[in-house]
Amino acid sequence: MKLKQDTRKSPTNAGAPKGRQRSRRDAKEALLWILPAGLVIAFVFGYSIISLFTQAFRYDGKWIGFENFSIVLTDSLFHTAIAHNTLLLLVVPILVACAFLLAVLLFETRRGMRFYRASVFLPYVLPIPVIAVVFGQIYQLHGALNVFLESVGLNPLAQDWLGDPKIALGTMSTVIIWKEVGFGVILLLAHIISLPQEVFEAARIDGAGFFRMHWSVTRPQIMNTIIFYTVIEAITMVSWVFNYVFVMSNGLGGPGSSTMVSELYIYRAAFQNRAPELAATAAVLLFLATLLFVVAFFRIQRKSISGTFAK
Amino acid sequence: MRKGMTMKSKKLFGVGAVVLALLLAGCASSKSDSESSAVKDFPTEDVAMNISWWGDQEAPGAKKWLNDTMALYTKAHPNITFTEVLQTTEGLMPAFAAAAAAKAGPDIQYFWGGIYAQQPGWDGNIVPISDYLSAEELSHYTNAQVEEGFQGKIWTAPWYVNPSFPLLVRKDILAANNLTTPKTWDELLKVCDVLSAKKITTIAGGVKDGWFGAWIYSMLGAQSISSQKEVISAVVGDTKFTDPNMAGWWTALADSKKHKCWNDDINSLELYQAQQRFVEGKAAMTVTAGPDAPNFVKKAGGDDKAEIIAIPAWSDGPYAGKMGTSSQTLGVTSWSKYPQVAADFIAFGHTTERLNAWFADTGSLPADDRFDLTQVTSPSTAALFAAALDGAPYLENFIPAQLDTDAIFKNVQLILKGTITPEQAAADTQATMEKIRKSDRKVVDNFTAWSK
Repeated sequence: MKLKQDTRKSPTNAGAPKGRQRSRRDAKEALLWILPAGLVIAFVFGYSIISLFTQAFRYDGKWIGFENFSIVLTDSLFHTAIAHNTLLLLVVPILVACAFLLAVLLFETRRGMRFYRASVFLPYVLPIPVIAVVFGQIYQLHGALNVFLESVGLNPLAQDWLGDPKIALGTMSTVIIWKEVGFGVILLLAHIISLPQEVFEAARIDGAGFFRMHWSVTRPQIMNTIIFYTVIEAITMVSWVFNYVFVMSNGLGGPGSSTMVSELYIYRAAFQNRAPELAATAAVLLFLATLLFVVAFFRIQRKSISGTFAK
Repeated sequence: MRKGMTMKSKKLFGVGAVVLALLLAGCASSKSDSESSAVKDFPTEDVAMNISWWGDQEAPGAKKWLNDTMALYTKAHPNITFTEVLQTTEGLMPAFAAAAAAKAGPDIQYFWGGIYAQQPGWDGNIVPISDYLSAEELSHYTNAQVEEGFQGKIWTAPWYVNPSFPLLVRKDILAANNLTTPKTWDELLKVCDVLSAKKITTIAGGVKDGWFGAWIYSMLGAQSISSQKEVISAVVGDTKFTDPNMAGWWTALADSKKHKCWNDDINSLELYQAQQRFVEGKAAMTVTAGPDAPNFVKKAGGDDKAEIIAIPAWSDGPYAGKMGTSSQTLGVTSWSKYPQVAADFIAFGHTTERLNAWFADTGSLPADDRFDLTQVTSPSTAALFAAALDGAPYLENFIPAQLDTDAIFKNVQLILKGTITPEQAAADTQATMEKIRKSDRKVVDNFTAWSK
């Protein structure tokens, strides 16, 4: 019995060395395919990233350890900027929900789908400075929005949208939603359209209503795309809102510091306050924060893919 | 070898060294005295000069003047050609910072006065103009020593004077409401009370872009100090921005807000947008860049309908009731291959014909005491020029630019929104300055050297 046990090999054990060999060969092949792109990325970004990290530890060309980090991390303006980026992250679920809802509505629309799709996507292709300038006018205290609200008797709702520090960031986030939602709609709609129609028909035959079908049938099938869009927008909120803030607050992040974000902090440190080392330090911190989102995305994606294969 | 020197040869060596040093010093001094036009080092090869500038916004007509000046200079020196880039207000400093980082870009750079000209010099991004223009030539340039001087050198050359900043008053609007031009702070607040009760804006302004906040600081803040050195003293930490002479103006500003002196949308407007209300007759007063003030008077209907005054005094300091004075300047970048040509071009802009052309093209005051003031016929313009030539220091130019954006711009916005008190504004300004002293590790040394 013992002998039998020793000599018998399980199918898994029997294939292990070969499998490992194949996996190693696959990995090498994959690396070979990735190499050209990797070299291009290293060429384009490698120097700047190394230079960024080096600069973060130097002042006037001299190595000063973590002194720059200490200055940036104790700067109340940097705290404010990070807090605002974090608050803007709250916009992501709203964006995703809006994009999903609009994508589903467009999917269900029989007539004029092209027109609606173009209308929803249009803001995404407009240049941010143009949008920011237009909304800057609309949101003035005596701008179009308040004129409209007052004309329909909603005077109490009229606010100094961009001039009041209590609501300026919220106001700015509505512009970001308006602009960014188009990208999500197109992304999700493309995936929904590519899904097998039989599944929807089967759900309808089973009596699923609009909400049940899209929540329980559509949503799980496009979850990968939803996660991708979520991560992209999370990165946007952390490190890609500079244009909105710069144009709408005239480069100040005001009123007060109510719309200050980390990118603007970096820009001002580098180009207005002549402190490239502090800009580099803040950029390193922002880079690491963004990296967290990217890593999280790949982890979730890997789990999701392995989950799909397991099924 | 030096070890083996005899006492006699040592003495001879010492004398020789002193003579050589004196000769070199003499040469250097004769260079700066004799080369005001820098013609000796003039290149014979083709030279392309680049000028990065700002100013047509506050001195309309400046672009025409610059283009004419470049053309005239090229006519006199056919191998020298020019290109110019007009920068936006927000882009002026960042564009220069980018050029400085690359050590490439303009040969001649426009700078606002004071700290905006000092800082590039401290950073080694410009060469002192006094190395290329004679002391005699520079002695005619208005405000050169006060704002651009540093340890015996002068960084940049004043171009035109910026009376900082006049209050423009529409006499017609005041008269229509049985009011006259306010002479004291209390009278101003009374005008605000009367006009705001009639839903008329007293002073139209916009602080969304921040700069107007610094103007207000300079107009009100200068009234409680007796020298710009008091401000520098607070910058280096010898005194504080919460001291009464430094912080009193926040209360004056808050009072003006309480009396509804400003348009209610001041926080959502840029300054230039708000100023149009003065021109359109929707506001009784506004503040504008000094060089552009005569144009505003013209647009408002001329001297009969509008006048230019200094903001009424809220304090009894020596500068209370005075307008500030500052000069906008041109500097020569440290990477320019032809600094002598750049300097010569700048001096060319100060020739009599060019000074007169500046006034004709822009209606503003060139920064040169050789300009013949008898050409000025408008009473309001003459009063403006007189005020600028005997003005108070323009405070914004004596604080770090970062303090301007991080504390002054910010807290003026918040005071005018009514979300903070004057005490909080002063405390935040002090805290910001303390932070800057930590992050800008040279600020104390530089400002201390500047104040001497």
